[in-house]
Amino acid sequence: MKRAHNVYKSQKLIRIMLEYDETENTINWITIAGDFFLYPEEALETLEAGLIGTKLEKETLKQEIDNCLKNSEVYGFDSTSLTEAILGCKT
Amino acid sequence: MVARHKMSTIRFSKIRVLETGYNNAALNMAIDEALIENIGDAPILRIYGWQPAAVSIGYFQSIREEVDLEKCSKIGVDVVRRLTGGGAVLHEIELTYSFITKQYPQNIMESYRWICETIVISIKRLGFDASFVPLNDIVVKGKKVSGSAQTRRKGVLLQHGTLLLGVDVDKMFCVLKVPSEKFKDKIIKDVKERVTSLAGTTFEEMASSLKTSFATKFDAKLLADTMSTEEINHANWLAERKYNSGEWNRRR
Repeated sequence: MKRAHNVYKSQKLIRIMLEYDETENTINWITIAGDFFLYPEEALETLEAGLIGTKLEKETLKQEIDNCLKNSEVYGFDSTSLTEAILGCKT
Repeated sequence: MVARHKMSTIRFSKIRVLETGYNNAALNMAIDEALIENIGDAPILRIYGWQPAAVSIGYFQSIREEVDLEKCSKIGVDVVRRLTGGGAVLHEIELTYSFITKQYPQNIMESYRWICETIVISIKRLGFDASFVPLNDIVVKGKKVSGSAQTRRKGVLLQHGTLLLGVDVDKMFCVLKVPSEKFKDKIIKDVKERVTSLAGTTFEEMASSLKTSFATKFDAKLLADTMSTEEINHANWLAERKYNSGEWNRRR
């Protein structure tokens, strides 16, 4: 179990707090914060819950983010930049 | 089901105008939420200020990461989380507006434009060459003078925003944290270059121009009103139980 965080500048600033399983390379817990806009707002909690258990791999993560946000509108980041922000926790 | 509207087709016969004066941060945000919950057929234009000065953070922000809470406490600056997204703002020398309506363009970009262009007209009337910069900013000569944010709940749109009548960037960064201490000076310099105010405009002049613009834009009569007892009670309850609580303010 490892904790990490990352601050990532996309169109808006994204702050990631992450706890992940180093052996399985999966997300145990994640908080995504920042000055972005997301409609409806509750979609962020759905996204955070949806990412639990997801492999910390580029394509898998991006796919899961796209899936979780498919009924939402985001201003300030996209699935590519959010994936980079999350993976940046490991570097 | 929410009716879909093109921007140009929306007209209101009247707009309820609430000038709620200066309040603390928790009550200010609580009033906005109480008005969403209790709105009738007429949209509401609310005009207000902040006393004491306050930092509001966006719905998705982390208060610990964005705000120097110790400094705020020391100099008497309130802190509150908004219902809306976006960034942290120091509210001091400004007029804040809220527009709350059950009829609005469903497209988010369009709805920002719909309200912000009304604000632009009100600023232009005061002699400033203002323009709207999507998603949510209004600039004068390329510098930001107003920022807005929206939420939609139970078929009601709330957009609230600031109109800067003065700006103190140094004080702003006295209470707001920066993403990188190493680049703090550069960040402050950048903000000083990007933000300005409608200097020389009084709160009353701005309020008057805003009201005229909303009446003209929507071909509506303005109904000067006060909050009902039910709205006041609801707002006080929300201020105490929600907007003053750690559970809400420290949610992220």
